[in-house]
Amino acid sequence: MSDDEDDRRKKQDERRHPSEKDETSMPRRARDSGRVRAAIRTELEEVAGDAADKNTVKTTGRNAAQTVIALDNISLAFDEPILENVSFAAKEGETVVVEGESGTGKSTILKLILRLLVPEQGRVSIDGEDITHLTFDDALKVRQKMGMVFQGAALFDSMTVYENVAYPLREHTTLTDAEIEARVREKLEFVDLEPDKVMDQMPSELSGGMKKRVGIARGLANNPEIMLYDEPTSGLDPLTTATITYLIIKLQRELKVTSVVVSHDIRSAFRMASKIALLANKRVGFFGTPEEMTGADDPYLREFLGGF
Amino acid sequence: MILDGVNDAAKRTVYSLQEFFTLAGKAIGFIFVKPFYAADLFQQMDVIGVGSLGIVLLTGFFTGMVLALQSSVTLAALGMTDIIGKLIAGSMVRELGPVLAGLMVAGRVGSGIAAQLGSMRVTEQIDALNTLGTDPIKKLVTPRVLASLIMLPVLTVINDFVGIVGGNVIAKFYLGQPTGMYWRSVFEQVLSGGFTLHYIPNDFIQGLIKPFVFGGIISLAGCYHGLKTSGGTEGVGLATTRTVVMASILILVVDYFLTQILLAVFSP
Repeated sequence: MSDDEDDRRKKQDERRHPSEKDETSMPRRARDSGRVRAAIRTELEEVAGDAADKNTVKTTGRNAAQTVIALDNISLAFDEPILENVSFAAKEGETVVVEGESGTGKSTILKLILRLLVPEQGRVSIDGEDITHLTFDDALKVRQKMGMVFQGAALFDSMTVYENVAYPLREHTTLTDAEIEARVREKLEFVDLEPDKVMDQMPSELSGGMKKRVGIARGLANNPEIMLYDEPTSGLDPLTTATITYLIIKLQRELKVTSVVVSHDIRSAFRMASKIALLANKRVGFFGTPEEMTGADDPYLREFLGGF
Repeated sequence: MILDGVNDAAKRTVYSLQEFFTLAGKAIGFIFVKPFYAADLFQQMDVIGVGSLGIVLLTGFFTGMVLALQSSVTLAALGMTDIIGKLIAGSMVRELGPVLAGLMVAGRVGSGIAAQLGSMRVTEQIDALNTLGTDPIKKLVTPRVLASLIMLPVLTVINDFVGIVGGNVIAKFYLGQPTGMYWRSVFEQVLSGGFTLHYIPNDFIQGLIKPFVFGGIISLAGCYHGLKTSGGTEGVGLATTRTVVMASILILVVDYFLTQILLAVFSP
């Protein structure tokens, strides 16, 4: 490198504002990413702090809370049995995480709650109403109480982000265009996306984490009382996983939404769960709080939790 | 063992037929039920109609030309080249126009519908519609079926016209027949017996009922196989292949029976 070039760089450095000088060796994108990561870490530390108090707070509320989702002795088989006598319930504001090995019927449980599948035996109740024998049209109405976040986000790829989030509002409400836009902006901001940047983008232009967040915003658009998540953190890097986990906890705390989360991610499950339902051998092998789960002596549970 | 296999295959066939006709009944029934997805309908009319215009124009023009070329040999031998317009118009309007437009649209649109709905199925977008409280048949199938029912007769009329124009090119430049004479012969065939509210020529009836039915076959085959897709991208490929095969075979088979029925009912 020539002396002239060194001199020019020194002069450029002197002209820079002092606040810029310490970061000049990092590319701009990396600096932004570093700030975001730091913000997420801080938020997660806050959540972890709250988690220490959450069970005490919730236990008090839970006794008075009503059961919102109840599965009662559900059995289902396709070519072979999938679920046998599965029962658990989620009370108002609770987050129930359904855990289990692959192929144990975790996602099937969400489809039963959505009434996309009908059990051969038992009943599924939403707000005390048995939805098992509803007609197709009545089931569509019940589904309007729920928001669903799919494993691959399942955004409509022929629509923009705005149209995706606005879809349930256009379908089921009489809101004006201005009101719909305000609601879409509110939901996108809730999931930490900048509306002006993402609203006109197509799903194919988004990263995996952004797709999941738009999926959550779409699920939330109708202000549902129930949120269902199918593997919300699968296939994401650890920091994006932390962000999505944080969003689910934020929903629980700020909007008091009752949630059922199907997940493989035991670490996230412990962060967000009010209760955990562990599926094993087509049945619910354990249903209780994360603390009860870690304290249990059951050999299968200990094996499942592994080194956690 | 063999009987069990036959029994299972029969059951599967009956079940598939039941599914297909249930889908068809719902899709057509939803045309008259609110909400109407007008934007989706116009978008599909654009995709199916305007999008298929190019291949329909090409197919029609060259079919008309080759038909004129082949028939001119026989007609010249018989000294009857002055009726070439009649022959081209009759063949195009009654048979070749609807069937060729149907086959072309089956290849282009039927496979497109199956691929699109199949991809939506494997990426859980159909489940997402269900969970958002929308009936996927109403939102996705009805606009496609209605658009096909409207646009296939329009495409067929265009196909017929360019086919007849293609015949005109050969009649003029190969047989040396004046254009006026050719078109008089065409109108004699197409408007035989006049055209009033009380009498619509048989050619028009056949030429418009057939593409209407074919439009239904193509869109329903695409939607049926698309919605039934499973097994990821391989499943999407299978769905498109099955759609084109099913729609093409059904067009040819239904064309025969429809012709029999229409000739029996509307023949003068």
